[in-house]
Amino acid sequence: MAKLKNASQKMSDAEKFCTVRREAIYTFLSLAVLIVFWLFAGFGTSSSDAKIFGLPFWAVFGTVGVWIFAIFLSFVLSRILFKNMDLGGDGDE
Amino acid sequence: MNENGNIFALLPLIVFMIFMVGISVFVRNRQAEKNFVGNYFIGNRQLGGFVLAMTTVATYSSVSSFVGGPGMAYSVGFGWIYMAVVQVTAIFLVLGIFGKRVALLARKLDAVTVVDIIRARFQSDFIAAIAAFVIVLFFCGTMTAQFVGGAKLFSAVTGYSYESGLILFGLVVVIYTSIGGFRAVALTDTLCALIMMVGIVLLLYHVLDFGGGFSQMINTLEKSNPEMFEPFSFGNMPWTIYFTQWLLVGICTIALPQSVVRGISYKNTKGLHEAMLIGTIVVGFMNIGINFTGILAHGVLPGTAADYGGVDNIIPTTIVTVMPQSLIGFAIIGPLAASISTISGLLIVASSAIVKDIYMHYKQKNSSEVSPGTLKILSVATTAIIGTIVFVIALTPPSLIWLINMFAFGGLETAFFWTLLLGLFWKKSNKLAAMLSMTGGTVIYCATQAAGFKILNLHQITIGITCSLILFLIGAYFGKPSDEKTLKLFFPDKN
Repeated sequence: MAKLKNASQKMSDAEKFCTVRREAIYTFLSLAVLIVFWLFAGFGTSSSDAKIFGLPFWAVFGTVGVWIFAIFLSFVLSRILFKNMDLGGDGDE
Repeated sequence: MNENGNIFALLPLIVFMIFMVGISVFVRNRQAEKNFVGNYFIGNRQLGGFVLAMTTVATYSSVSSFVGGPGMAYSVGFGWIYMAVVQVTAIFLVLGIFGKRVALLARKLDAVTVVDIIRARFQSDFIAAIAAFVIVLFFCGTMTAQFVGGAKLFSAVTGYSYESGLILFGLVVVIYTSIGGFRAVALTDTLCALIMMVGIVLLLYHVLDFGGGFSQMINTLEKSNPEMFEPFSFGNMPWTIYFTQWLLVGICTIALPQSVVRGISYKNTKGLHEAMLIGTIVVGFMNIGINFTGILAHGVLPGTAADYGGVDNIIPTTIVTVMPQSLIGFAIIGPLAASISTISGLLIVASSAIVKDIYMHYKQKNSSEVSPGTLKILSVATTAIIGTIVFVIALTPPSLIWLINMFAFGGLETAFFWTLLLGLFWKKSNKLAAMLSMTGGTVIYCATQAAGFKILNLHQITIGITCSLILFLIGAYFGKPSDEKTLKLFFPDKN
């Protein structure tokens, strides 16, 4: 496998743990954002009479909408906010 | 075997199970002889992103997600899917919060299990022993639920007896897990997750076909069951269920040892990042897909769940009603795959708790060598024995499978949530905190479950998790801080 070129791979132990802590906080914040989105998408829109594919708006937005939003959050976390690093074993070549 | 069975329903399943054993034998033959324990219990940290995602999802999604869950969706309506969709958080949370932390620590400590990490963090054999005990106890409960759920479904759909189902898929899962270890578990889980998705699509297609199409089914349902289109389902779906499910199957699942151990097993951070995304896509697809099918089952089975013998019978009856005879065998593989992939994932961790966390540690402490040959036999034998014990319990099944499953879920979460989360991220965590939280929290959780005691009619997980936090904080305040060496190892950023 090609060597990961990210400069952050040469992090010190302390930097790695710091990054990991920061990433855990990002993940936690994503959870908080998702909870708010979930509340809004379902309960928040349940009084609306709008329909999508013959289903109440909340029933689609609160389920498929939440799913798509979670995929978006996972994308932001894993592709943008999270950094590659050498984990210290023999896995990263 | 029962003579009334449908042979078409058996053939695909038999072929599938033989294939699973084949994978396991293949994996076993390719395994390097050195470092047997690391190989057998975590596959030598070689998992890539896709397999990591699939094995985490497959272990997490159990037979109750495929049978009890959609049965409830049939009764409650869209509120149930809205509640079930909170599970989309499970994968990115556990991998995002614990994935790298656990991976870094495992490499530093040469840890193979979550208990190894807990032992090193709190410098306590007692806490490690309690953790191993809690894992084995609750995993046995969950595995029994999986066996029972799978075998009941098998019997309802194929017409063969409950026992023959147990033997057909139950014994096979014990055999392939014992032979191939974690690597086989991960690969078979991946296959199971793919089969589950195919199974959902197949069933959904035939339900729609049978019911006369989507629009017609929804229109009829709106007239006959208007409550199903309201989030609280006219009182059938109170806020308390939403609240506790967020805890029980959403947030607190990050501390389940069977999920956290996956943080030790992957190869590099690129794979972890991929797994977060793939896992979230897959877990959402499964949850929405199968529960939506449960709602649409009204177009196939009019009336209420009680007319068909309860919520657990909705999916089996739907499969039998809508699937062509030749496809029944394929339709049943999906839910059974959910069952066996959870069993295999738990079995290997339960076995590691006994062999690695208790036996090997005891031997090392007494400075006695265990030969690689003995270790190999012992690991395989322990996996087989735990599997067989659970198999025997499942032969005389306890009732209410999804309750047992949820009970065990809650117990594991109470025991491990604060111990792992605060233990790995909070410097002030100490031995007393972990000890109080793990033992006290779990005992209180079990006691309130046994007594049927609830506050505000919320599931006992709320009491368990709150008490376990309070006890942890008390311990952290009064206990002796962790020693400098441990802190340096676990929190190099703060030194």
